[in-house]
Amino acid sequence: MTDPTDSTDPTTTTDSSDTSGIDDGSDGQPRDPTLHRPDGGAVLEDDRDADLDRGPFQQWVSDSISHPERVYRAMFYVAAIFFLFTTLFPFYWLLMVALTPEGQLQDIVFTPNGFNPGAFVEVFQVIPFHIYMFNSFVIALASTIVVLVIASLAGYAFGRLEFPGRTPLMLLVLVISFFPPAAFFIPLNDLFNTSFAILRPITGDGTLYNTPFALVTPLSAIFMPLAIFILTTFYSQIPDGLEDAARVEGTTRLGALFRVIIPLSAPGVATAGVLTFIAVYNEFFFSFLMTDGQPENWAPILDGILAYQGQYQVLYNLMAAASILGVIPVAILVVIAQEKIVSGLTAGALKE
Amino acid sequence: MTTETDDGTGIDTDPVPDGGTVTGGEPGPSHEHERTGNAAVNWMESLSEAAYAYLLLLPAFALLTLIAFYPMIRTFVMSLRANQTRGLDPLGGFVGIENYIDILTGNARLARQFLDVGLTSSFPFIELGTPLFQQALFVTLAFAVISVVVETVIGFGQAYVLDQEFTGRRWVRVAIILPWAVPIVIQGMIFFLLFQPTVGFGSDLMQSLGLFSGTPLANSQDAFIIILVADIWKSSAFMALLILAGLQSVDRSLYDVARVAGASPWQRFKLITLPLVMPALLVAMLFRTMDAMRVYGLIESTAGCTTVPSLSCLVVEAMFGGTRIYATAAAVAFATALVIGLIIGVYVLLFRDTDGGMY
Repeated sequence: MTDPTDSTDPTTTTDSSDTSGIDDGSDGQPRDPTLHRPDGGAVLEDDRDADLDRGPFQQWVSDSISHPERVYRAMFYVAAIFFLFTTLFPFYWLLMVALTPEGQLQDIVFTPNGFNPGAFVEVFQVIPFHIYMFNSFVIALASTIVVLVIASLAGYAFGRLEFPGRTPLMLLVLVISFFPPAAFFIPLNDLFNTSFAILRPITGDGTLYNTPFALVTPLSAIFMPLAIFILTTFYSQIPDGLEDAARVEGTTRLGALFRVIIPLSAPGVATAGVLTFIAVYNEFFFSFLMTDGQPENWAPILDGILAYQGQYQVLYNLMAAASILGVIPVAILVVIAQEKIVSGLTAGALKE
Repeated sequence: MTTETDDGTGIDTDPVPDGGTVTGGEPGPSHEHERTGNAAVNWMESLSEAAYAYLLLLPAFALLTLIAFYPMIRTFVMSLRANQTRGLDPLGGFVGIENYIDILTGNARLARQFLDVGLTSSFPFIELGTPLFQQALFVTLAFAVISVVVETVIGFGQAYVLDQEFTGRRWVRVAIILPWAVPIVIQGMIFFLLFQPTVGFGSDLMQSLGLFSGTPLANSQDAFIIILVADIWKSSAFMALLILAGLQSVDRSLYDVARVAGASPWQRFKLITLPLVMPALLVAMLFRTMDAMRVYGLIESTAGCTTVPSLSCLVVEAMFGGTRIYATAAAVAFATALVIGLIIGVYVLLFRDTDGGMY
């Protein structure tokens, strides 16, 4: 770069930058002249003259041409800021709506019309929002446990055992995860509304509708395939020797799974757990249709947020406040477990 | 089987040396063998590897059968029977594929049609019975195609940003992932409020640009665009994550080689990045397409199913619309499954040769 002939030669823009990117010393200089001298001379003269009467913009353009990596850096920052703005602005705006007192909710863009943090308390007074949140937690946690246990067994079989029909069965699980809940829904709705005599002492009317089971069972089933893929990947990577050693010592087959394979795959199990929890917490279809929306009937957070749409007025600021409260648990999970989420989605998606 | 905590922790804390675990774990297994040495364990131990594998798969497939396989067969059987609006049993006699013919020709008793296109003899040869944006099949397919294409492009951009080294990368990554983790109802609520004329500035803004009508959430075409934007906001992050995984698995030395050979950044992208990321990209697109095809919650929580009818919307409306057309609902549900199955098939056929692809 010390040689001015290099930086102003427009015919070799990419080349000159690339050599400068690696090392602009001894390697670039002997090679460049032999390549570009012959026709470079005339162009050079013109360029130097033009340099004198360039404006700032042209200066910037010529700088950019000679240092493309600087432009890429600038483009990168522009893109990063653009993406940050588009992903975070809706949350910020939601907060502004939540902080605006009811009755002044017009034309909120960057600042709230007034300041009313009391909305975050009012949320719990108008409807029992904490009960909805509790229900969501219980349902998501229960589904996660069911999924982890069942998917661990299946993941062990798929990941570590050889048996006929392994690939077709794996594909079957995959295909099921693609079908829409709507295709399963009608018979399930019938099933959960059927009265069973044995359930009568537990649920009152003998049906599973309005109980956590009506949500945990279908949600476990539809999010299990992802967990199975993640666990299959992790379990198949444990060396056989470790399991064999445990077996030689007299551990049972199931014991080897629960004491050797699962503890050694703890990151994978945690990943599958976090992803399942988020998926169940976020689900809409079954959560909306499998309860009647009453907090005492295990309605999840979704019904809570929609419940501010009252008969006579719609409490938009409370809807916004409740939405923010509803995002907080998953936001915390994302901050804590972002590495695991990334690796888990990767494993789940790239395995097949 | 998990009651023996001392043995479990023994292996957990000291997994590597063989001698250590043998001496340390000696009392555990023998003790356990005596205690649980019952018929069930012996039977499980005596199974062949294949039989043991099937046993372990049993719970998973039992659950899937109860929730997925059996309901799907039931749905199909229901869809072959007649609607019966009076009487105890909501389903009438066997009518074959009549329900399917009804939904495909726009004659079903639904508030919004599955497909409503007639054939004519003059030029375009087709005519629309209802506006295109009120036909569920078209709405769903258009939604899936447009959202997946845009999300792939944006997701690629986001993944490229996250693939660079810079300070604060961890927090930028959290910010970009965050929309993906937002519950669907809250995603819907954000965009509902943004375009609610009394609260949000979205409808005023779009109206002053002349793009939207005064009540965008009640206009099928405007609401479709709002739902599209909402989905792109949330799901680009998912695409970005999967593409990022592909980007990070690319061997960095390939770029150095290309740079020395004088490849421009665009050439490096086209010849190195794209081919190597392709398998991850295709899987991500397949996942997203399937997800977009079953869109329901986002529509229900923003514009409502009447304004923007998707396939899943149609099923729910038919079920709970109060008209007792369960057989039609079942036919729509199964047709939805068929459409999705068809798309999976096309994907697999198109990309089965891709190196390292799906199967």
